[in-house]
Amino acid sequence: MDAVRTAFDVFGIAAVAYFAALNLTYIAFTGLAWRSLMAHLRARRFSGVNEALASPLTPPVSMLLPACNEEACIVEAVHSLLALRYPEHEVVVVNDGSTDGTVARLTEAFDLVPVDKALRDSVDTRAVRGAYVSRREPQLWLIDKENGGKSDALNAGLSAARYPYVCAVDADAILEEDALLRVAKPIIDDPDLVVAAGGIVRIANGCIVDRGQVLDVRLPKSRLATFQVIEYFRAFLVGRVGWSRLKSLLIISGAFGLFRRDAVEAVGGWRTDTVGEDAELVVRMHRHMRERDEEYRIEFVPDPVCWTEAPESMRVLSRQRRRWQRGLAETLWKHRTMFGRPRYGTLGMVALPYFVLFELIGPVIQLASFFVLPVAFVFGMLDVAILVAFAIVAVLLGVLLSVAALALEEFSFRRHLHRVDVVRMLIYAVVENFGFKQLVDFWRLQGLVDVVRRRKGWGDMKRRGFAALTPVETIRLDSGPPPSESVPVVSASESVPVASASGSGRDRAVDEPVQRPSEFLRR
Amino acid sequence: MVQALQLASLALALAATAFVLVLVLRRVMLSREERERQAVEERLRDDALALVDGDDVALPELHRHEAAIFARMLARYSRQLSGEPRENIARYFESGGHIDHQIGLLGSRRLWKRAAAAATLGDMASPAAVPALLDALDDPARDVRAAATRSLALLGAAVAVEPIVEALAARRVQRAVGGWALMQIGAPALTRLRGLLRHDDSAVRATAAELIGLVGEASDSAELIGLLRDPSAEVRAKSAHALGRLGAGQAAAMLRGALGDRIFFVRAAAARALGQLADRPSIPALVHQAQTDRFEAAQAAARALAELSPAGLSTMAALPTGNVHLREAAGRAEIL
Repeated sequence: MDAVRTAFDVFGIAAVAYFAALNLTYIAFTGLAWRSLMAHLRARRFSGVNEALASPLTPPVSMLLPACNEEACIVEAVHSLLALRYPEHEVVVVNDGSTDGTVARLTEAFDLVPVDKALRDSVDTRAVRGAYVSRREPQLWLIDKENGGKSDALNAGLSAARYPYVCAVDADAILEEDALLRVAKPIIDDPDLVVAAGGIVRIANGCIVDRGQVLDVRLPKSRLATFQVIEYFRAFLVGRVGWSRLKSLLIISGAFGLFRRDAVEAVGGWRTDTVGEDAELVVRMHRHMRERDEEYRIEFVPDPVCWTEAPESMRVLSRQRRRWQRGLAETLWKHRTMFGRPRYGTLGMVALPYFVLFELIGPVIQLASFFVLPVAFVFGMLDVAILVAFAIVAVLLGVLLSVAALALEEFSFRRHLHRVDVVRMLIYAVVENFGFKQLVDFWRLQGLVDVVRRRKGWGDMKRRGFAALTPVETIRLDSGPPPSESVPVVSASESVPVASASGSGRDRAVDEPVQRPSEFLRR
Repeated sequence: MVQALQLASLALALAATAFVLVLVLRRVMLSREERERQAVEERLRDDALALVDGDDVALPELHRHEAAIFARMLARYSRQLSGEPRENIARYFESGGHIDHQIGLLGSRRLWKRAAAAATLGDMASPAAVPALLDALDDPARDVRAAATRSLALLGAAVAVEPIVEALAARRVQRAVGGWALMQIGAPALTRLRGLLRHDDSAVRATAAELIGLVGEASDSAELIGLLRDPSAEVRAKSAHALGRLGAGQAAAMLRGALGDRIFFVRAAAARALGQLADRPSIPALVHQAQTDRFEAAQAAARALAELSPAGLSTMAALPTGNVHLREAAGRAEIL
């Protein structure tokens, strides 16, 4: 009995210490993210995005779009990429052995014709069956290859890319029209230093989407997807902003990430033996650079630039979370020699230990308490008053951190303009502590079990396509363009003849069309 | 223990409630501010437009926040205008002491205030701000330097060309912003850029060559041809690229020589330039490069051949010696 009590006491102390460390880290990160976001927002006014758009010195980018059975959304995804505001970019779609109508839909929509295509041999991939180019959009390529997984498809895209930067995008991602400019900003600023940059990913379920653009940001109708909106705020606005600030960003989302091509080639491209290929590549790039004592930066851009479809069913969400946890475990295991090594800076000394302690084995510790507590209660070793008080503190801390993440969004990008959505988010920030978070922990635990059982594969994620998610007929076409912070700039060539050719306009004859500068501005 | 946890709960509950209240208040405040701004802009728009037109305007007495909204409105207009209307706006800001105020803010300890002032001075359109903005190009913060570069371009300050090119070469100003700025300044920038082709720093020479390729004329080719023998590979490549863009036919012979450069990206740039110049005598050398060189240089040569002789390229691509670079370029040429 004494042994059980001692074990329980030890577990209790460890659990409280773990809880305190985890939440103190979250609070510190929230503070860090706050400072970082405010500085970013101030700098955004002078970020020179419009100048970069008009500049011939902005580096060209190859967009890589791996697609496997994506017939529901592939055409819209390509339209969205082609419509990006960027001085020079090409789109390389890589068909990864689709068995549905992905290639047929692309061929029909963009008038693709077969061509020979020279591919670099810097990274090995499965056999490429053919290449196609669009007659309508000469900057659109399709590489058709045997199925080898997302990483293999990205590597094939890397081999086909013409430009010095590549941007990996998911087929179900919707990019804002200046997304590429914004995410390329760190590279435009510091091309010698920045080897990769990632953007924020947000949930598009419920939003009104038309022609590959999010017109109106709304919360999903699905409760499960709404919980994920809050989760994403915490993960991106707090977590990634914080890690980026500490120069230890471990993950650039596979949905939207920009990389210097030669840096990716130097580390061998995306690995095909992990389901966490996005994080693994970033960690490998960190490792490669640090082992060579090369100065570099991997940046996170907190502007909301990429929208994606979140799972709305338990089955699909559970698979996604199990896969993420497996990917994390695989990445951490592959790079275990970096742990606690000062050579790898904050990455080895802080970030990797954090990810092991709180992200990898966190679900084990958190869910273990649900088994230990009833046992302790049965054996009379539990002070119920303390337990209840502790539970209240835990829930309130969870609520506070979620509300703080919402506050970050409200004070920064404020994309949810409907008041009812803000109220709903506040409610969900409270409710998620009673079941949803525990459910996610359970799936993550299952992910760890999958690792132990050496389970492989991605599982399926059926896309509904955004046309199905958002009834297009509800778009209010009379509501004008979506809100934008940038003032439309008329180029000098447009403005000069209209505004200044007329001078003050006072000398003109009465029957001439009046061209006072004020009329130009009124227009 | 229980008491401590109760206190912690209370503190957390209060903090969460405070957060929620702040969020609600902020929403209300922002909505009110926006309504006020729209109302003030609506009321003052005619005065602002009359001022832009150069009419005599008797402005009503403005409160401080109204004056700020009015100034922002004019600054926004100035970004869309040039010539006399912009000068009218500048006169308003000069006479109201706004320029001096913003120049004073360039000395602020806070980075974002300096950057905001540097950006605002460009929108205020007054040439009186140029000396202060030139100083701001040496600011320790990149955002301030970028904002100053942008503003100097909006003011058309030819005197800023040399410092901007030097800042570009030293990576103190972003390439995209610096390049845009020099293109905005346009013809006046050209004279100074030509001088920089003889600069001691190879990075400055390379940047100047690149920019002349964008804003220069065919008559600039003589100096650029000389740079094809520069010790810096970067300068040789940028010069080749510029010569192609400028359509400098007299550079063809030297560019053909550059196909034998020991650095691959110089060979690639020379191939691209020869394609742009439609230099048919270079075809054999380009075919050789497309068939034997490393990826980037071979691609550039094949694409150049597609511009020079699409029909000939198709024939060569169909031969057993035609490699994938030739076939790709031929295929694209046929389709496009």
